[in-house]
Amino acid sequence: MTTDAFLFWFLALVTFISALGVVVFANPIFSALSLVMTMVTVAALFATLNAFFLAGVQLIVYAGAVMVLFVMVLMLFDLHKEKKAFTQGAFSGSVKLLLGGLLAGLIVGAVSMSKELYKAISDQAVTNSATGIESTKALGQLLFTQYIFSFEVLGILLLVIAIGVVALARSKGGTHVK
Amino acid sequence: MDHQTLVAVLLLAPLVGFFINGFRYRKHNHLVAGAIATTMVFISFVCSILLFLNLTEMKEENRRIVVSFFEWLKVGNFKAEFSFVIDQISGIMILIITGIGSLIHLFSIEYMHHDKGVAKYFSYLNLFVFNMLLLVLGSNLLVMFAGWEGVGLCSYLLIGFWFSDESKAAAGMKAFITNRIGDAAFLIGMFILFLQFGTIDFANLNGLAPSTPTHDWLNPLTIACLLLFIGATGKSAQIPLYVWLPDAMAGPTPVSALIHAATMVTAGVYMIVRLNPIFMAAPNALLVVAIVGAATAVIAASIGIVQNDIKKVLAYSTVSQLGYMFLGVGVGAFGSALFHLMTHAFFKALMFLGSGSVIHAMHEEQDIQKMGGLKKYLPITHLTFAMGWLAILGFPGFSGFFSKDEILWMSYHSPMGHPALWVAGVLGAVMTAFYMTRLMALTFWGESRVPKNIHPHESPALMWIPLVVLAILSVIGGWIGIPHIISEILPGHPANIWEHWLNPMITKIPGLAAANPQEEWTLMGVSVTLVLLSSGIAFIFYGKASELPSKLSENFGGLYRLLVDKYRVDEFYEKALIRPFVWLSENLWLHVDVSFIDRCTHWCSNFVKGAGAMARTVQNGNLQQYAMYMALGLVVILSYILMR
Amino acid sequence: MLNEAWIEPGLNHYLMLSAIIFSLGLLGVLLRKNAIVMLMSIELMLNAVNLTFVAFSKYSGNINGQVMVFFVMTIAAAEAAVGLAIVASIFKRFKEVNIRFFEHLKG
Repeated sequence: MTTDAFLFWFLALVTFISALGVVVFANPIFSALSLVMTMVTVAALFATLNAFFLAGVQLIVYAGAVMVLFVMVLMLFDLHKEKKAFTQGAFSGSVKLLLGGLLAGLIVGAVSMSKELYKAISDQAVTNSATGIESTKALGQLLFTQYIFSFEVLGILLLVIAIGVVALARSKGGTHVK
Repeated sequence: MDHQTLVAVLLLAPLVGFFINGFRYRKHNHLVAGAIATTMVFISFVCSILLFLNLTEMKEENRRIVVSFFEWLKVGNFKAEFSFVIDQISGIMILIITGIGSLIHLFSIEYMHHDKGVAKYFSYLNLFVFNMLLLVLGSNLLVMFAGWEGVGLCSYLLIGFWFSDESKAAAGMKAFITNRIGDAAFLIGMFILFLQFGTIDFANLNGLAPSTPTHDWLNPLTIACLLLFIGATGKSAQIPLYVWLPDAMAGPTPVSALIHAATMVTAGVYMIVRLNPIFMAAPNALLVVAIVGAATAVIAASIGIVQNDIKKVLAYSTVSQLGYMFLGVGVGAFGSALFHLMTHAFFKALMFLGSGSVIHAMHEEQDIQKMGGLKKYLPITHLTFAMGWLAILGFPGFSGFFSKDEILWMSYHSPMGHPALWVAGVLGAVMTAFYMTRLMALTFWGESRVPKNIHPHESPALMWIPLVVLAILSVIGGWIGIPHIISEILPGHPANIWEHWLNPMITKIPGLAAANPQEEWTLMGVSVTLVLLSSGIAFIFYGKASELPSKLSENFGGLYRLLVDKYRVDEFYEKALIRPFVWLSENLWLHVDVSFIDRCTHWCSNFVKGAGAMARTVQNGNLQQYAMYMALGLVVILSYILMR
Repeated sequence: MLNEAWIEPGLNHYLMLSAIIFSLGLLGVLLRKNAIVMLMSIELMLNAVNLTFVAFSKYSGNINGQVMVFFVMTIAAAEAAVGLAIVASIFKRFKEVNIRFFEHLKG
């Protein structure tokens, strides 16, 4: 077993367990912490895929900003451990579980069966993929040339969202008159 | 202006008037509404004159203006253009419609000025003129039918104009429903013609008409012609569908003048003249037309003798005169029928407007037994009415004389005619002379029987100007169609312009012998003498207060009552047709509609309701359930793609 | 039993992992009562998708996939902000963040 393989399997295991934790922990704070863990391992997975810039962004934006937002809101609301974390209904719950399992099973099965096809792609691609600083440079160039318009639009979108969120948060809670 | 613009303006001006007055009918008073409506019709009249002048300048061989606006319908090989044709026949018709129409609009301004709905009245009148123009100008049967229905609608609206009076609203409905029967036959006739010839365009139809007439009663052509004629009996008030016209007098008097005397009711005659080559190919149908026309002329005139309502007398007179026109077309004298149509439009519009003037003066009193001696109160009305009287009598030199005499002569002389038809025509003329003289005598002459509280007065100028114009036309209108034998003895030998003008449009009667002047003079003399004799008798009866009429009515009590009851035709229709129909409808309603159709529809709606109630539970606002459906869809699509 | 090809990580491994994490996120959205945890589950799903993008980018040598991940992250952050603002509104009204209360948003 090479170092790469060991790293991947380790990260995959941690990601899976922490993702499971997000879903099953009854206390939202534990869920949030599990999510942080997932974010970090996903960032590490990015790094194994040579996407170092994205790994950094993932850590800063997700694990830093977004998760802080979540935890802030949770603290603000002062939520206790819920007695029932899941919605009621044994039948619909089992149907939902079945659906999720089916979806995962279908995709995993499909991917594992079409092994040869992806092998062909990966063989020729791994060799010419950029490493380290070069991939970040290429990403930056692409972002500020070909995708410059989308990039700017995204900036405006964030501005709009910021204003909208402030307006929403200032509201008295619901549009219905009491 | 080119022809297209002229025809467009001609047609659209009244429609514009209709919309202006129709949308603002609460705002406009009688002067504004009347001015708008009259101007619009007058614009049409000017356009008609311009078009007519253009027509006269054309060469005789292709004297027609065809204006096509767009293709209206195209289904399979059925094609109908929205196009209009102005030729010798419709050229005259548009002059009559817009000319007399303008005069009657002018008259209405004063006549209707008391009425609250005056703008509504004028908008209906404008709409009528538009539809009538559509009817006469349409270059195919479908456009004609559109106008045909449109004038029926306007007639209904105007008869029931004072709809708060239930009997008047009922009269409107009677007219509408009676017309509907005729219209259905008209439609079927149109279909048969299309099946036979593959076209409904007048020019094509007339071109395709077989040159050898068919004497088979069951020939599709004969059937089609008979059905079209039934349509005409509805619109033109002939036996058996004439019953609506006397009741139509419930409408305002100028409406009776315009719609129920001068224009709309002549649509049937116009239609047959328009299709004369087709009808000539079906002589059996024409025979029916002639017999029905003659019978209508006699029967309607006989009812007219005993009527006491001034407008009812004129209404029966109209029915009777329309009978003459159908007698004319029935014996193949299409030109003469159209001639009588025109002169009748002049003098009957005049008499209706005159009666309107009388009714106006008498404060809505229509019973001629309460009139008498109005001569000195209404000098102008009396004088003009007298012109109409002489014209309808057929007094030599007046317009009615030329047209009526020509029809009578043709009914005798034409190979399609018969002496019996001539006798019927003369009988009708004699009775017409009698009741018209009676009307004159009871209304204008003799001693006044006017109730004390009514003070008759002459109508204002706006009302008598149209009367004078129409009176002049009633006198001289016949001079353009002076028969050959009379023009021979007149200085300058005036030509028969009318015959010459219409010649290219009218099918020649096969086997028409040369006229024998002696015979013609004799017949003319006989009819004129009888007519004068009859009006003399009527004058003796009614000129002064006399015992004779009441004695006569006592001696012939049965006949008199029969006439007063209008041969009890309405009662017969009620018993024989309407009652069974109502019975049938009631049964259908109770046993088919309520118990079967309603149940079916209720079942359908309940099914939909139940299904909706079930489907509604899906949309319960539970976000997670929505997400589950999404996931379900994802799984289904994914498995479909993978299993493929 | 586990042969060499199975142990050595390749594109397939990343794809399978992301599919599993995506399904876990989906289950979280479907099953959890707490609206905030639902939002977290959505983040989980987005992360799974990002992983797929990056994996494909690497193995096809096409850097465009990483640009897409960058955009997705931005949108995800915005979505989390708006979602939390709505949750805050709901909380102010009902003192709880049960997803059931979103039913009141229907017309």
